[in-house]
Amino acid sequence: MNSEKLESLSLEALCALAEKMGLDLPAGLDRPFVVEEILDALVEDSEDRRSAGDEAVHVDEKKYSGSELDGLDAPKDDVPGLESRYNETTIRALVRDPSWAFAYWDVSDSERAALAGEESAAPLFLRVVDLSSGCEDAACEHFDIPVSADDQQWYINLPHGGMRFRIDLCTRKAGNHSARARTLARSNILSSPRQELHPGPGGIDQSSARLLNLSGISDLRIQTIEPDNPLRITSPGVELQPGDGD
Amino acid sequence: MANGQLALVLNAHLPFVRHPEYPRFLEERWFFEALSETYLPLLRLFRRLEADSIPFKLTLTISPTLASMLGDKLLGDRYLLYLEMQSRLAAAEEQRLSGDPTFQPVLRLYSELYRQDREDFETLYGRDILGAFDYLYKKGRIELITSGASHAFLPMFVDCPEAVSAQIETAIVAHRRLFGKHPTGFWLPQLGWHPGLADALRSYNLLYTIITTRSALLGDPTPHRGSFAPVQCPNGLTVFIRDAEATKAVWSESEGYPADSAYRDFYRDIGFDLPIDYLSPYLEEEHARIFTGFKYWSVTGPTEAKSPYDPERAARRAREHAAHFLAARAASAGLASRWMDRPPLMVCPYDAELFGHWWFEGPLWLEALFRQAEGGPLDIVTLGEYLRQFPENQVSMPEFSSWGDGGYAEVWLDGSNDWIYRHLFKAIERMTELAERFPDESGLRERILNQAAREVILAMCSDWALIMRAGKAHAFARRQVEDAIGNFGKIYDMLCSNTVGTEWLTRLEKRNNIFPDVNYRIFRKKR
Repeated sequence: MNSEKLESLSLEALCALAEKMGLDLPAGLDRPFVVEEILDALVEDSEDRRSAGDEAVHVDEKKYSGSELDGLDAPKDDVPGLESRYNETTIRALVRDPSWAFAYWDVSDSERAALAGEESAAPLFLRVVDLSSGCEDAACEHFDIPVSADDQQWYINLPHGGMRFRIDLCTRKAGNHSARARTLARSNILSSPRQELHPGPGGIDQSSARLLNLSGISDLRIQTIEPDNPLRITSPGVELQPGDGD
Repeated sequence: MANGQLALVLNAHLPFVRHPEYPRFLEERWFFEALSETYLPLLRLFRRLEADSIPFKLTLTISPTLASMLGDKLLGDRYLLYLEMQSRLAAAEEQRLSGDPTFQPVLRLYSELYRQDREDFETLYGRDILGAFDYLYKKGRIELITSGASHAFLPMFVDCPEAVSAQIETAIVAHRRLFGKHPTGFWLPQLGWHPGLADALRSYNLLYTIITTRSALLGDPTPHRGSFAPVQCPNGLTVFIRDAEATKAVWSESEGYPADSAYRDFYRDIGFDLPIDYLSPYLEEEHARIFTGFKYWSVTGPTEAKSPYDPERAARRAREHAAHFLAARAASAGLASRWMDRPPLMVCPYDAELFGHWWFEGPLWLEALFRQAEGGPLDIVTLGEYLRQFPENQVSMPEFSSWGDGGYAEVWLDGSNDWIYRHLFKAIERMTELAERFPDESGLRERILNQAAREVILAMCSDWALIMRAGKAHAFARRQVEDAIGNFGKIYDMLCSNTVGTEWLTRLEKRNNIFPDVNYRIFRKKR
């Protein structure tokens, strides 16, 4: 996407594009300013991604250098050849990183009709069930996230890394928060990645501590979960530096 | 203490892009550029090292999608047309710059590159690039390993064992067909590891894979040799660990060697500098500006005022950087060896296309590295060699991680690409349903089921999600996913209604002709 390409788009298309990019433009903004805002946002986005890290993917992108930036001008929700939904009551979840999971779901038309009929406008919500402690279902800790009838996917902030969990798509009788939740669908069971070291019963000895430092552990912001370990690594590279005590 | 050991691992991969339905297709250039700037230059440097009896060693993945394209006649024909077009552009540039001595050395470099590429591709290798790598494989110079069939980001699919198996098994079958051997190692696409993959990999008799430092150090228990030795999953799968410092030295866009001011600037290309009317005869689409590969400026620094590229100066820097890299690894090994009970191993996995395509001088650096390493303090080894030397390793189960931004799945799961998964998982579920319903088909129905399996595997390709997030070629990437899932959906409907459009099927088989040995039964439920 470059200025030439943007100039060729209608004002309506530009506004639609700006909206897709999450830009909040004042109504009635003149066309040159809309173009400028979009270009600024594209540059900013690119710089953000570049400064976010030096991981391999930035270089990986260079493989696909044959053409200009052509993205964003074709709306992704208008997907030819794909069904917009599969009309089934289901939920699936994916772990993105230690802090976030992604869930998508759907409620079949018949289920929706039943909900509307039996429990007038029964609200939907997601129940994130923490299975980490090996608890039985009813005894598990959980938290609920209300969703609207039109929502079909959410990113969910996880309270901690190393969490084993499931996400249930639930409903309950409208206007009654103490009413028992009814589960419409259950997701697969997931585990979010741990963010702490697992030193094992012997802890981390001096040699290992030095080798972990040499391996770049300080860049990974990893912490230990062994509070009594005298050689624990509490924060990036504070206690253990290469050459310590050499 | 013995010397440290250094294992270079290159992952050669491109997604499957082949469009016979069009006379020319812009994104096929990705493959042509990589052939010209990476794969053929790599083979040339291996030849030079062989000629000089330099004992180079390398572990190399040729991904199944890339292998399929390397062996494809249509793409071979089109590559020759690409070379012809590049040579014509070089001739036009010689004329345009005839009075300007500044750019003559770099221009000669490009003219020679495309001439040499043509000679190697057509005459020396008879278009058989896979054969050229196989020759080095059989000689023990390189160790060829495989990767996910369509480079799927496997942590996303750990709850779908059928999908994971389809990626692994299809890749192994392709590797055996192409190279006549069972691969011993498996490159995890995007270094995407999840504990749930260990059993699947081991069940296919794969001996080892490679993970990020993060995966390893967060493993259970913590590896006591850090990243300087592999660990072993409880099921026996050996997991090599990427060396973080070596990675940064080459990968980092800001601090890595490729950012040196003497090297060729990747972004400044005549495709965006010269008038479009002048360029049009040499472009796939007459008025779409593209990177032509003709780049005359050096990185210089954070300025728009670039200095002309000086190939000799850049080559000197590549040799200096190779020396620096070896010295830094030797120093690291020296430190680590004080705390080790065996020679420290440093595993350096990189995308092959970094060398030559993005970092133009990368092949020179690699060649200098092998030459300078001879007789030095580091032994260059392949991963298989190391494993034969040290078959027993600490038992530890690494944690989920990848080499993408943030270290996890953010690149392949964000607002730009998360819509894929609803359709993808449905397609996988339906493919499993078909494989269960039709377990023993033959003839036309087997053909159509196999094509369905191909389409699902193609839709799982992680490159499309990555490209969508990057913004470049976004619409194209989206279309690849839509097409594959759309094709699968059409086949599914045909099978459900017991009608088969044979003409359409034949056309699709000819277009998406990847994985000729695919067996749709790989999607049967794992029991």
